[in-house]
Amino acid sequence: MKFGNLLIAGITTGSIYAMFAVCVSVWYRVSNILNLAVGDFAMVGALGVDNLYRVKGLPLPVAILTTLVVVAVFAYLYDQVVLRIAQDGRRPIEGIVITFFFTFALSFFIDGVAKVLFGTDVHAAPTLWGGPALTLGSLNFERSGLLVLACAVIIGGAFWLYIRFTLGGKALEASGENSVGARIVGIDTRQYRRLIFIGTAVIAAVFGIVESPITGFTYLSGATISLTGFLAAAYGGFRKPGRALVAGLFIGVLEAMLGGYVSAEYGDTVLYAILAAAILAWPRALGFESAVSG
Amino acid sequence: MNQFLAASSRAFRWSSAVASSRAARRVPRGGMPSVIVLAAGAIIVLNYGLLYTGSVFVLSACYAIVTAGMAVQIGFSQQIAFSQSVFFGVGAYGVALLNTHAHMSVLLAGVVMVVAAALVALLLGSVVTRASGLALAVATLMLPLIAVGYVSGTDLLGGPVGLPLNGTLWPASGSTTLIALGGGLIVVVVLAAVVFIATRILSSDIGLELFVLGVDERTAAALGVRTPRRKLELFVLGCVCAALGGVVYVGTQQFVPETVVDPTTELALLIMLFIGGRRSPIGAVIGALVIQYLQGASNWVSVNILIVEGVLLTVVLLVDPEGISGIVATGIAWLRRKSGAARVSAALGPAELTGAELTGAELTGAELTGAELTGEGQPAAAAGTVREAPDAIAGLPLSSVLPDSTLAGTAGGARDATLLEVRGVFKEYGGLSVLHDVSLALPGRGLFALCGPNGAGKSTLLNVIGGSVAPSSGEVVFAGSDITRRPPHERFYLGISRTFQAVHLIKGRTVLDNVAVACLASHTASIVTRIGRSQLDAARAKAARTLADLGMAHLADREVSSLTLEMQRMVELARALAPGPRLLLLDEPASGLSEEQRQRLAALLVTLAERTCVLLVEHDLALVAQVSERIFVLSGGHLVFDGGPADFRSSPVVNSLLVGS
Amino acid sequence: MSAAGGNRHGNPGESASESPGGTAEGTAGQRAAAGVALAVTGLSVAYGNVVAVHDATFAVAEGDACAITGPNGNGKSSILMGVTGMVRRRGTVEIFGAPAKNGDVKWAARHGLTLVPERRQLYPELSAADNIILGCYTWTRSIGKARRSDAYGRAVDLFPELKPHLKQAAGTLSGGEQQMVAIARGLAADPKILAVDEPCLGLAEAIAKRVYDVLAQIHDAGTTLIVVEEAPRRALTLCNRRVEVRNGMAGAA
Repeated sequence: MKFGNLLIAGITTGSIYAMFAVCVSVWYRVSNILNLAVGDFAMVGALGVDNLYRVKGLPLPVAILTTLVVVAVFAYLYDQVVLRIAQDGRRPIEGIVITFFFTFALSFFIDGVAKVLFGTDVHAAPTLWGGPALTLGSLNFERSGLLVLACAVIIGGAFWLYIRFTLGGKALEASGENSVGARIVGIDTRQYRRLIFIGTAVIAAVFGIVESPITGFTYLSGATISLTGFLAAAYGGFRKPGRALVAGLFIGVLEAMLGGYVSAEYGDTVLYAILAAAILAWPRALGFESAVSG
Repeated sequence: MNQFLAASSRAFRWSSAVASSRAARRVPRGGMPSVIVLAAGAIIVLNYGLLYTGSVFVLSACYAIVTAGMAVQIGFSQQIAFSQSVFFGVGAYGVALLNTHAHMSVLLAGVVMVVAAALVALLLGSVVTRASGLALAVATLMLPLIAVGYVSGTDLLGGPVGLPLNGTLWPASGSTTLIALGGGLIVVVVLAAVVFIATRILSSDIGLELFVLGVDERTAAALGVRTPRRKLELFVLGCVCAALGGVVYVGTQQFVPETVVDPTTELALLIMLFIGGRRSPIGAVIGALVIQYLQGASNWVSVNILIVEGVLLTVVLLVDPEGISGIVATGIAWLRRKSGAARVSAALGPAELTGAELTGAELTGAELTGAELTGEGQPAAAAGTVREAPDAIAGLPLSSVLPDSTLAGTAGGARDATLLEVRGVFKEYGGLSVLHDVSLALPGRGLFALCGPNGAGKSTLLNVIGGSVAPSSGEVVFAGSDITRRPPHERFYLGISRTFQAVHLIKGRTVLDNVAVACLASHTASIVTRIGRSQLDAARAKAARTLADLGMAHLADREVSSLTLEMQRMVELARALAPGPRLLLLDEPASGLSEEQRQRLAALLVTLAERTCVLLVEHDLALVAQVSERIFVLSGGHLVFDGGPADFRSSPVVNSLLVGS
Repeated sequence: MSAAGGNRHGNPGESASESPGGTAEGTAGQRAAAGVALAVTGLSVAYGNVVAVHDATFAVAEGDACAITGPNGNGKSSILMGVTGMVRRRGTVEIFGAPAKNGDVKWAARHGLTLVPERRQLYPELSAADNIILGCYTWTRSIGKARRSDAYGRAVDLFPELKPHLKQAAGTLSGGEQQMVAIARGLAADPKILAVDEPCLGLAEAIAKRVYDVLAQIHDAGTTLIVVEEAPRRALTLCNRRVEVRNGMAGAA
């Protein structure tokens, strides 16, 4: 059944977008910075594992672990060196225009390093769950796709549980909503910011590893993923991870449907046109601040 | 290299000599940067035009034309739109096609494409600029993505191979040298013209409008700025500059690569803008130069250009968010301070701006966490002179302190004629009813108060009257005409002026400029006219008069965030008064003030009420009962009391609601 | 510059709400009054070039209710911000004899000083109950322990009128309810000293009275209170000591 399979494919890619969107959204709440480098961390995850496993011959679990550790360390260093000065220094830098561009520059940097380390070809991490697609009636479930979904559910679910049911999770929420109020009760917002940034980077890398067998990555792929994550997060007004999640799923499904039913070549173009029109028609409903129009 | 250095240092010395000699007289507004660009550019092209350095310079100049426009649109006015690469492509591809298929000369094709781009931008912009802020950014983000999909799919534009151009920018035929140098000179002239236009606009009164627009659209609208029109003008300006850049690009490079409409081009342009200095056209030029020279500097750099750009942008932003031009400006200011010329000069325009924002902060509370205790910089005299209060409005006499000049523009509201009528206004948000059947009427003069517990709808009602919120039903009638659907800037022209609960002044600008924003006469003028004359001085003069009337003339050159809360509120009040309003809406003007300060404010309000209608939202019931002639009480969106102070004090409704048993 | 001693009721060292048949815990705690809860010496707070507080010195004894009064914009809140560690300061602050770490809010909280800030500073999208329980963050990371603790229980019971609103998002509550949540949050931190900054800002008279009644309750239970108030009238019905702040300097009025 074409519709069903398209829907499954859409939900699979949608869940990836959703995860990235949630990463962008959660981190924005805590830090007021838009992380435009999420996709690049994903790309590093995928290409790093591929390089360590395929080229350097390390066993797969070691390759994965090493890559994730390197990503985490790098994210930590970036936070310590750049973000600390930008946000907590004597002259904290403000304004969405500026905060936009730090991770933007980071994205460039990561892409450049990836180009040096991994070259310009298309690569992918090895398939973690190999085998033919599972079928249910006339519906096909690609195993890699299922793995992606499983990761999304596990990671997303764990995060949700953390936020709802632990004091630390509530503290995280609090620091995103009111940093003065958070400091009053001794919440170290800086630490949470650092934690989330590193967490975001590692989660993105995990998704890169899991997703790359499906599409394959080059050193520039990160940009497109960051963009979609950013877009989906935008539909939640950047501050509502729940909405970002739904938006990501929706965009994924819409993309699949347009590609399947309208046109394989121009499906994406139509998608972007629709998204643009939607923002212009209903900015408030989609979570953007109301436009002051005459 | 030595030749270059010698030539440019001569040029620089000459121009700085000119600048400083003219500084004594009136410097032609905004002329200097474009003269420098023209002179330096011409020198470089003529000396190096055939060499590698020269060709990189010309290429940078093509991009700089685009980024200069972006400096006005994105950097200065904060209208983030990602449309430049697309229009760059429109210019480039259009000229190539016209030249190849219609055999038009490149220059003529260029003119045609710029006009076409302007028209397309007008059309597109009228749809796109209905959105604001992030919505605008995300919507326009789609443009390069859509364009890429189209470009790579069609053969007309050369597909992945790109589109070549047979003609050249320099119209006549001749030796390769002449063509190359001529083309380069044309680019330099165009760039100088764009820089000139940009600088003229930014240093004019409309420049001040754009600045406020960039800081907060809502405040700008309340001060009379026609936000929809300005946003459209900015969008068109950015797109036209981009198209112009594309035209000269193809004219000098003879080729349009497929990557021109890519998001990567857009990102590269943004990097150039931010590294150079987002708010200044000269900064934009510098940024383009830096990036293009970097790309060709060494093999290692060009291969690893991504790394270099990433690191460079990060470092520059950390050092100064205003980029290289910000660093230079800070350096110049530091030098000037060292040499004794210390005043904050408001006349220098964009390059001097530091990250300006709204001051919502008072000296206590949220914004000040993490502040450092500084050893130096503490005022020498500690005891007693820590606050401005003593020297500010020394002994404001209770009798009329405002000579006629400030409120001369006031219609001098008549006592008995109804100036403002609110009829049956309802306002709902979702299912929540915030205003329920509220009706009131105010005459042309007098002091009236609006009270009520928190959440009763007072600010909403003020917003309905001021125009930033449209009621769900009901009417607002002002001086006989129905203004319910009129936008805020039109209400400003009609004579409605307001202040906000949090202080909404523009940080980084002087008190004088903050008040001058309300005195601008440029609202109805098109942005293009400011290439010519500017009436910023007239606006500043009017602002100065208002400040003098209020006894604040000595604060005119102070930077706004260095004032106490009381003084900031006074500046806001001055801004509301400057245009001579017929109706003054004040949202909790006494909040955060001490008893003494409140009394001073009360005296001032009483004086104002003799000439105009003042509606005050206030919590301080003592103050309210003391000065108002009529009081309105809102509770849960309903108007529960409408009467004089005597009735107010004795009303049981009021007592239970506000005073307690 | 020292604090003004004595109180309006002419009985130094005694709380105005002491009652003869009071609980042993309450009156004993007040009568002891031997320990100094908070000692501030030479406190200076500046924001950039603007000096908000200059060389303030005062002390608050254990069991006191101290009012910090003075015109707005003169440094009262800044004193609290400096003392609790929310902003950096010069000078020394001692909480129950231990010298406070500069700018360290956690340290102050762990040694018993908690601030209820000006304008509440709640977390608008979290529920009222969540806002309150986050007060426990100062002494535990376990949500289970927090929920079961006496401190939390007392905090929630403090304002019975909040009970129906506990699950509501804090941002949707009225001003008075928000102030109650803020005070409850402060109490959930189980403080020995509760500092409250302008508790009645923007509140209707009836609610302000209720807030002060509860503050009195808290004081009776043994907590040392420091209240910053612009209008001394209300504060002085509760407090037995007063520090007047003018132009950034604390001392006798």
